[in-house]
Amino acid sequence: MRDSTQFALTLRKLVLLFRRDFAVARSYRAAFLIEIFESLLASASFYFLSRFVESPALEKSLPPGTTYFSFALVGIAFFDYLGVALSTFDGSLQEARQNGTLENLLVTQTSLPVILAGSSLYPFVLMSLRTAIYIGWGAALFGFPLQGANWLGAVLVLAASVLAFSGLGILSASYLLIFKRGNPVNWAILGLSSVVGGMMYPISVLPKWLQYVARITPVTYSLEGMRAAILGHATMRELLPPIAALLLFAALLLPISFSIFSWALRRTKITGTLTHF
Amino acid sequence: MHPISRLTVPALRGISLEVKKGEVLALVGANGAGKSTLLRILTTLLIPTCGRAEVCGFDVTREPAKVRLQIGYHTGGDACFYSRLTARENLLLFAGLNNISEAKASTRIAELSDPFGLGELLDRQVRALSTGNVHRLGLARAMLHRPSVFILDEPTRSLDPLAAAEFRRFLLKDIVEGHGTSMIFASHTLAEVEQLAGKIAVLDDGRLLACDTLANIKTSAGAHTLEESLEILTRQASRDEQ
Repeated sequence: MRDSTQFALTLRKLVLLFRRDFAVARSYRAAFLIEIFESLLASASFYFLSRFVESPALEKSLPPGTTYFSFALVGIAFFDYLGVALSTFDGSLQEARQNGTLENLLVTQTSLPVILAGSSLYPFVLMSLRTAIYIGWGAALFGFPLQGANWLGAVLVLAASVLAFSGLGILSASYLLIFKRGNPVNWAILGLSSVVGGMMYPISVLPKWLQYVARITPVTYSLEGMRAAILGHATMRELLPPIAALLLFAALLLPISFSIFSWALRRTKITGTLTHF
Repeated sequence: MHPISRLTVPALRGISLEVKKGEVLALVGANGAGKSTLLRILTTLLIPTCGRAEVCGFDVTREPAKVRLQIGYHTGGDACFYSRLTARENLLLFAGLNNISEAKASTRIAELSDPFGLGELLDRQVRALSTGNVHRLGLARAMLHRPSVFILDEPTRSLDPLAAAEFRRFLLKDIVEGHGTSMIFASHTLAEVEQLAGKIAVLDDGRLLACDTLANIKTSAGAHTLEESLEILTRQASRDEQ
């Protein structure tokens, strides 16, 4: 009973933090419109790039029935989730430090992990909206194939990806808690993932040893799963391997990152540097 | 200090004091004396490396959530709200984070809006409010969950003299006398300390030099004013240390 009340309270707090971010974002009206047109321009540039590079040789290295445009669009759109996961936790921490609200948030009945989780909801929802707009423009103007996509499968892959990526994001926030600026965790994960994750090209074009590295990078499974669900019309059974891999990453990364984060938080509370930036 | 190096500088040393219900304690001392450190320990924002502190019987290290339920915390800075949200939206958010339901929070905000003079301001964005009004809003936020102890760090730091005087009257009349709330505050403004505090704790370099009423501090230091007392006490302390 007590657990369910606690769970309901936590959910309510997450919603409150989401509503806060939505209300703040709504107060900047032009930004959202700009976002819509930015994604149109990005879709258009991928389309024309793909027309330039598409060739029978390239098509052979792509998954069956996939054009380079659709391959790259899914890659770009869903790779950004990793960027959001890596930036949202330390971004909200940094913002609270800078606008002076961190201390006031921390003296409430809400723990810092819940505050950070709640503050990450809006960026993830916004990212989903942006992805939908990307794909929408692609489908409406440039022939991105929507028929036969396994949307439920895509949502499950996305949920597993967000969990796995969040572990990395919490690690990144732990670094920021302790060292305040310059985040090599963020840089290393994004850099490595953009090279080996298969965002713009299939990992089969990588040298063998880099393909092994790709296999220990969560974004690889995320993009494979997304492409299989949306472009390859994969069944749920076919999506199980990437989903299982992502959940395994989440099961490993989340407890480790929470432990490191707790240690970092305690450390900054002892040194008195929690609110420094 | 390197973020992961060993801790070397103790910010507080051998401090022991008690604040009773309804009492107002002022912390005074030079910059770096340890006033803010002490307040941050009491608000659970800092963890002491040794020693013990309790608020309303709850240990700040072992029971931080229970301590936070007892305290209302306000700093003198005027950038501690979401400036693009309205005052009401800010209060509802912080009430929710303190486990107060939206209905109860709305009732509480209505209750507080009169004494805090927030009526017309509640639906304005915080960025459109004056510094004095942001302070009132900060106090209202700290009062939302009916705390037993108020902890204020330089509460009038960014207020002009008139607004500061009005704010002090408000603190004394409405918060302390009106609600019987205990208050601990740090300040560099000695007139403020004399006006508000029933007891004064003089800190210097992390040590407690005196903790008594204004009259007793002046008598024991052999001084006529609080300022003079501070000078005498800190000079004595540095002589004793040598």
